[in-house]
Amino acid sequence: MRKPFGGVVLDSAFRVIVPFTIIYGIYVLTHGEFSPGGGFQAGALLAVGVVLARLVQGENAKFNIKGTHAVMLAGLGAFLYAFTGILPMFFGGNFLEYSYLPVHLHETAEIHAFGILMIEIGVTLTVMMTIIDIMDVLVKKGDSDE
Amino acid sequence: MQILILEAVLLLFLIGTTIAIILCRDLLASIVMFSVFSFCAVLSYFMMGAPDVAFTEAVISTISTIFMVAALKKVSRWCKK
Repeated sequence: MRKPFGGVVLDSAFRVIVPFTIIYGIYVLTHGEFSPGGGFQAGALLAVGVVLARLVQGENAKFNIKGTHAVMLAGLGAFLYAFTGILPMFFGGNFLEYSYLPVHLHETAEIHAFGILMIEIGVTLTVMMTIIDIMDVLVKKGDSDE
Repeated sequence: MQILILEAVLLLFLIGTTIAIILCRDLLASIVMFSVFSFCAVLSYFMMGAPDVAFTEAVISTISTIFMVAALKKVSRWCKK
């Protein structure tokens, strides 16, 4: 929202809630191989904090990411995914074949975990920044607004 | 047997909230009923043994409710007389 509608209670609750949602989002991202979760849910959870800041503190919120920056970062996430996918093709593998990643780790399982983590980070960044950008477009000052 | 009854009650809730969404004339009430529908869907996904889908639905329903209310403020047609 452009104008803040938060009072003292909403502002304090926002300051308490947001660190927990960010920690939980990072936990869901890094622990996604063994438990329910993954890149998509982690990105949505991380975006909730920024959307909440935008709702409670208005357009001049400190904890905010602008729409143009959000689009660029979403492109960076998609690039990370494509880079991790195409990199094994230069070393004799197929698309997304993690065993051929040029990383100096001892076991194949560790290289697999590293590749999956890079993919998940790319998906997380793209989903989070896309949600923030949709929110930015929806609450932007428009022609028909008031 | 109790599980079956609980699933049947959840499915009845899903059908009831869907009919309420269609019949509501107030758009804000329709969005709130959609949120209720999403919560019933989360519970039924849990009952069917898919916690991953339930987690996704819970997160996305929260964000989509915020999006729909923001879009409704932009449309500024709260209720059709």
